[in-house]
Amino acid sequence: MPVGNAVEVCQLVKEFEYYKKDIGMRQSLKNLFFRKKLVKKAVNAVSFAIEEGEMVGFLGPNGAGKTTTLKMLSGILHPTSGSANVFGYTPWERKKPFKQLFSIVMGQKSQLWPDLPAGESIYLNKCIYQVPDEEYRRTLDELSGLLEVRKLLGVQVRRLSLGERMKMELIASLIHRPRLMYLDEPTIGLDMMSQRAVRNFLKYYNEQYRATVILTSHYMKDIEDLCSRVILINAGTILYDGELKRIGTRHEERKLIKLFFSEEISPELLLAFGDVKESDGNYAVVEVGKDEVRLCLQQFLDKFPVVDFNIEDLQIEDGIARLYSGSV
Amino acid sequence: MNVVIELRRHLYLLVLFAKNSLLSQMEYRFNFVAGIFVETAFLMAKLLYVSVVYQTNVHVDGMTPDTILMFMGTHILLTGLYMGLFYNNFLRITEYVRTGMLDLMMVKPVSLQFLVSFRYIETGMPLPNIVAGSVMVAIGWKASEIPFTLFNLGAFLIFLALATILTYCVMIIPALLSFWFVNTSAASEISYSIWDANNMPYMIYNKWIQRIGTFIIPVFIITNYAPLLVLNRLRGIHLLWGILAPLIFFILIRLLWKQALKAYSSSNL
Repeated sequence: MPVGNAVEVCQLVKEFEYYKKDIGMRQSLKNLFFRKKLVKKAVNAVSFAIEEGEMVGFLGPNGAGKTTTLKMLSGILHPTSGSANVFGYTPWERKKPFKQLFSIVMGQKSQLWPDLPAGESIYLNKCIYQVPDEEYRRTLDELSGLLEVRKLLGVQVRRLSLGERMKMELIASLIHRPRLMYLDEPTIGLDMMSQRAVRNFLKYYNEQYRATVILTSHYMKDIEDLCSRVILINAGTILYDGELKRIGTRHEERKLIKLFFSEEISPELLLAFGDVKESDGNYAVVEVGKDEVRLCLQQFLDKFPVVDFNIEDLQIEDGIARLYSGSV
Repeated sequence: MNVVIELRRHLYLLVLFAKNSLLSQMEYRFNFVAGIFVETAFLMAKLLYVSVVYQTNVHVDGMTPDTILMFMGTHILLTGLYMGLFYNNFLRITEYVRTGMLDLMMVKPVSLQFLVSFRYIETGMPLPNIVAGSVMVAIGWKASEIPFTLFNLGAFLIFLALATILTYCVMIIPALLSFWFVNTSAASEISYSIWDANNMPYMIYNKWIQRIGTFIIPVFIITNYAPLLVLNRLRGIHLLWGILAPLIFFILIRLLWKQALKAYSSSNL
């Protein structure tokens, strides 16, 4: 493994067996005696490398293979084939020194005891990770202060809000100061203020401790604020691995023209000018090439009863969506 | 040295699990107290067996009702230990597998088998069984005129500890099957029935059932061998098997556990 790489993944494949059952009692009876096994390739020959201290966004639609990849890299799942090297360890060998190096936070799963104050679960982690007393006190003080939850350490977890609980999950996961963090949708379901607090905290932790972070999130704001590099995955295959801003550069060549009409205009009439992204009769959004904006706009004004218009850049989400759909 | 350090660490974690479990259970006062009452009621039902044994003056393989009481007491005592240490944890293993909650436990730098086997320790509910079982053993012991020596007491306690290991090995099997079949409630029901059928000296069964229950699914060792030892009726191959079986079955369960983990496919529920 080249010096400086925290994670190296080579041709990683994960297949799951499953079976289908159509609805209805008859199908259930049939299914009781005969099940046709099907195989789903959740991750298909994925390869990438991540440098130590890097913060990488792992993006993809639901079922793309993000979580499965993270589970293989944390040793939870055995891959069907391929190899991975995380700080010199093969994750699925599940060696104790490897487990000391990383932590995983899943937005939809909790490691805290719901009926106890979060402080008890954090202390349990301190004992499991064998964190020395002095270091534990210092880390707990620092993290709870940064996340502004010091006063809540004694409150039963089930009485905390979702945002407060997630902050406690982060403290419990970081109490042993891991060098690598897998964050699987850590801001899911949180309000804007909590999302921002978690983002600021992650940024601080990454900079302060040079921790390597792999983050999956469906909120683009998380990715834009935290990750300069993204890996886009869809149907188990990597579509793009590079700088986030380069996805923007690609679609900087495109513009959106938003048109408001005084009477209903059929979308078919607009197709000749570009991709019609939206249309409801009196309103339409047309995507055109940057160089064609002036000409198209002139023709719209000449041919249609335009009462107002706007020219906008494409959002990064649009570029990502185009990558997912294979149109770039 | 490493083994000793790891053992101490795991014992300390066990104490923490027990503490956290007790704190959790005491959060729900009504359930905590009601659980003790429910178990006491179940215990009363079991004690009806005792009155039947005494009223009918049943003798099993030359053993008087007083001696049989020792076997029944051992069964109730071990039921308490099983309820306290394992029952809740084994039920949860199936749930961890079904929902994928095992994920967050797998990444901890501590034995996963230890973590899922002892994470929740029941403190209130097993108390009636443990107290009543101990009292029954004591009464049966005295009535059977077994000398109360340090050696006898030590031997009985060692065989109780071995029986606890075997209890773990036998009763965890349905939970482990959930790694392959997810829902294993039918297998669990079978194991509970086998457990309940073990509350009398195993001599009441025919030879073949005795052999199967001793050497293949060693449930009879659990309740029978500790009292038989102090009654001086455990000799030869049975004495040796009583010591070796827990070790052999624990190794087998450890291997089965490793296979089960390989079959784990996680879940996003």
